[in-house]
Amino acid sequence: MANPAAEATSTGGTGAPIAITEHRLANGLRVVLSEDHLTPVAAVCLWYDVGSRHEVKGRTGLAHLFEHLMFQGSANVSGNGHFELVQGAGGSLNGTTSFERTNYFETMPAHQLELALWLEADRMGSLLAALDETSMENQRDVVKNERRQRYDNVPYGTALEKLTALAYPEGHPYHHTPIGSMADLDAATLADAQEFFRTYYAPNNAVLSVVGDIDLEQTIAWVEKYFGSIPEHHGKQPPRDGTLPDTMGGELREELHEEVPSRALMSAYRLPHDGTREADAADLALTVLGSGESSRLYNRLVRRDRTAVSAGFGLLRLAGAPSLGWLDVKSSGEATIAQIDQAIDEELARFAADGPTAEELERAQAQIEREWLDRLTTVAGRADELCRYAVLFGDPKLVNGALGRVLDVTADEVRAVAAARLRPDNRAVLVYEPTTDATETEEDAA
Amino acid sequence: MSTPTMTFHPQPQPGTPTPWAFPAPQRLTLANGLTVLHCDRPGQQLVAVEVLLDAPLAAEPPGLDGVATLLARAFNEGTDTLTAEEFAAELERAGATMDAHADHPCLRVVLDVPASRLERGLTLLADALRAPALPADEIERLVANRLDEIVHEQANPARRAAKALYAELFDAADRLSRPRAGSAETVRGIDRAAVQAFYAAHVRPSTATLVIVGDLTGVDLPALLESTLGRWTGEKAEPGTTTPVTADDRGRVVIVDRPGSVQTQVLIGRIGPDRHDPSWAAQILGTYCLGGTLTSRLDRVLREEKGYTYGVRAFAQPLRSDAQGTGRALLAISGSVDTASTAPALADTWTILRTLAAEGLTDSEREEAVQFMVGVAPLKYETAGSVAGTLADQVEQQLPDDFQAKVYQQLAALSTEEATTAVVAAFPPERLVTVLVGDASVIAEDVKALGIGEVTVVS
Repeated sequence: MANPAAEATSTGGTGAPIAITEHRLANGLRVVLSEDHLTPVAAVCLWYDVGSRHEVKGRTGLAHLFEHLMFQGSANVSGNGHFELVQGAGGSLNGTTSFERTNYFETMPAHQLELALWLEADRMGSLLAALDETSMENQRDVVKNERRQRYDNVPYGTALEKLTALAYPEGHPYHHTPIGSMADLDAATLADAQEFFRTYYAPNNAVLSVVGDIDLEQTIAWVEKYFGSIPEHHGKQPPRDGTLPDTMGGELREELHEEVPSRALMSAYRLPHDGTREADAADLALTVLGSGESSRLYNRLVRRDRTAVSAGFGLLRLAGAPSLGWLDVKSSGEATIAQIDQAIDEELARFAADGPTAEELERAQAQIEREWLDRLTTVAGRADELCRYAVLFGDPKLVNGALGRVLDVTADEVRAVAAARLRPDNRAVLVYEPTTDATETEEDAA
Repeated sequence: MSTPTMTFHPQPQPGTPTPWAFPAPQRLTLANGLTVLHCDRPGQQLVAVEVLLDAPLAAEPPGLDGVATLLARAFNEGTDTLTAEEFAAELERAGATMDAHADHPCLRVVLDVPASRLERGLTLLADALRAPALPADEIERLVANRLDEIVHEQANPARRAAKALYAELFDAADRLSRPRAGSAETVRGIDRAAVQAFYAAHVRPSTATLVIVGDLTGVDLPALLESTLGRWTGEKAEPGTTTPVTADDRGRVVIVDRPGSVQTQVLIGRIGPDRHDPSWAAQILGTYCLGGTLTSRLDRVLREEKGYTYGVRAFAQPLRSDAQGTGRALLAISGSVDTASTAPALADTWTILRTLAAEGLTDSEREEAVQFMVGVAPLKYETAGSVAGTLADQVEQQLPDDFQAKVYQQLAALSTEEATTAVVAAFPPERLVTVLVGDASVIAEDVKALGIGEVTVVS
């Protein structure tokens, strides 16, 4: 197989196509392989098509709590054995949970690849043999401390959660974030976890990718050997319908008085679904408006008006519901939210009318190209992207055209999506006003 | 319905490892005196460049803490030919990012740029170093932004803990005792003239080093560097000297009161050997066994048995180092625990340290740690940025270019006893300064009862 990176110097920095081989086992497990011998490492990545959007009322946080339980041992692996064996082999590993999927990954020295496959297969096929009340209680406490550390004990820590709840209506599968509520974490039972596993952790609900210094034939033989006998099962229900109108039809605004260091304005705009050309256009619009120190909002709020210490736009790409355009502005000195609001609306209106200049579009495309190179520079990054395209869009080969599709978007398409979506009546807004009242805390943190 | 089962196979045995060594850089010197370390990493399309300037925090004039940080930030604010906005735009057009930050040993400027636009990226970097505009109005804005940032740092438990620990450990006269980016009082006094004077005094090619790592296939590097960074000129100067690092590590506890906190941020520290010390490899090995991962001694109890925390880590981080061996590293244990578990978590931590001192590490702990630390190296150094960062650390700490490569050889040869000796020496239970950022009204009494040192509460 051609060495993908060796050809890449001639492609203007965009990199050569990733060589991709696909298989499907009889039990439904999809397998994506990609060979690259530059460094003697191999990345294993496994995406299960389950995320917080599959959770039901009263059990928010279960997908993420369950992800922790996947590291507590299985039929042939002791509690913590997964970590011990991978790290003891010189590998690194973790798992993450999002709205739309749960992923698990090991990056191994190439000669230890088989161990990672054996470990992933063991827990996919036999987690319930080891799962017990002790690990459930322990990991519940760990996850609650994760929630405290990352969200409840830091200023603005619950902004994502609050803004998501505003942006997606009550009952919508994306109304709550993957961390879940303290009350629901407390309520989850061992039986819930067992049922979750039986429903979602099936070979036919997963994609496995292996990328790096591998032998394709040997690798697929190992995959067949370890995963091939895991029975498929079909209990999964599709997630609740995430369909929403293209725009919100009016601004939703919540003002919080909390003990935070400065005023802040955060908003979420409803944007096109991931995987569409319009989402790529929106990505470019957000980059021109709010990514980096030459962006319009940075220049306006931070450099010229000096009302903000930071101002940035980000895109939360989602495939099963509208994506979110995420604006985060922290005020400077005594500047008011009204001043910041007005400046943002002026900049959005100007952009909707005129679109990006040719230079702005070129810069935005160069930034996105760099971020894309950065993601694909490691075998683990490539393995994750292959799973993403396979799980969310049905075809891992789409990864190879992804950057080209962004570079193909025109200035007028960028203007059009901004005019349609980046408007005051299509956003949820969270305003923080600092209070010095030290007794005010989150209600779920008591 | 019974759960269907799969066919199990025995745990597989590893194949034959592919030899790997930490990349060896090559050196050259430009006509202007700039030292260059370069390392070709085929396939790494994002090239990483780091420039180390001999502008340590200790060189900041008295009362102007933060001037080095403001200079670092001002490097992005335009040149003799580009305004601040134009400079930012040109960097982005090249698909590049440039960041600079000032730390105790030196000021570092880091450029990441796609190989296809390397020349443009290097030109912008060179212009920023050679002829920064240092515009008065942008510096005034950077000062205001830094003052805003200090308020945010105060609200962040981890930042607040670090600030308190450094103030406890180091003498007030030592720059190490004070925040790297300055305090509100010192930052208020910084203007363009102060930044310009610091630049003029400390930024010059003859005392700087550039590290460049990435896919340099087909690049005539000496010529490319001469035509970009080679245009940077300056008077020759002798490299600066460092002062020895000392600290007061009498065992004691400082509670930084943060009413209403749902967790306590814990930072336990002292100072110890840096990379020049022969015990360094043993110290990082033993420290990993104590708190390097969630299967290490601390998390095995505090996280995986008790559920007190999302994770606690032990680490060694060099502060200031020189070839004469006067430097030291910060040795610390860091994490956060729910408020109610504060005293129990500290009690367990001290028990773990005392047990470690009494019984030592086991051979299997040592074996697993060595396998991880040596085995993970090819992965850790897969990207150009990670290689460049480590090479720059070596330069900054006046270490030989093959230092990291040798650490891997030493790790593989260390005995369990050597690792035990080093980690027990690094974390003596009676010589640890404990900083707790949390709700003093809830935690102070129980912490006093632990007997791990005198307890002071500050707000």
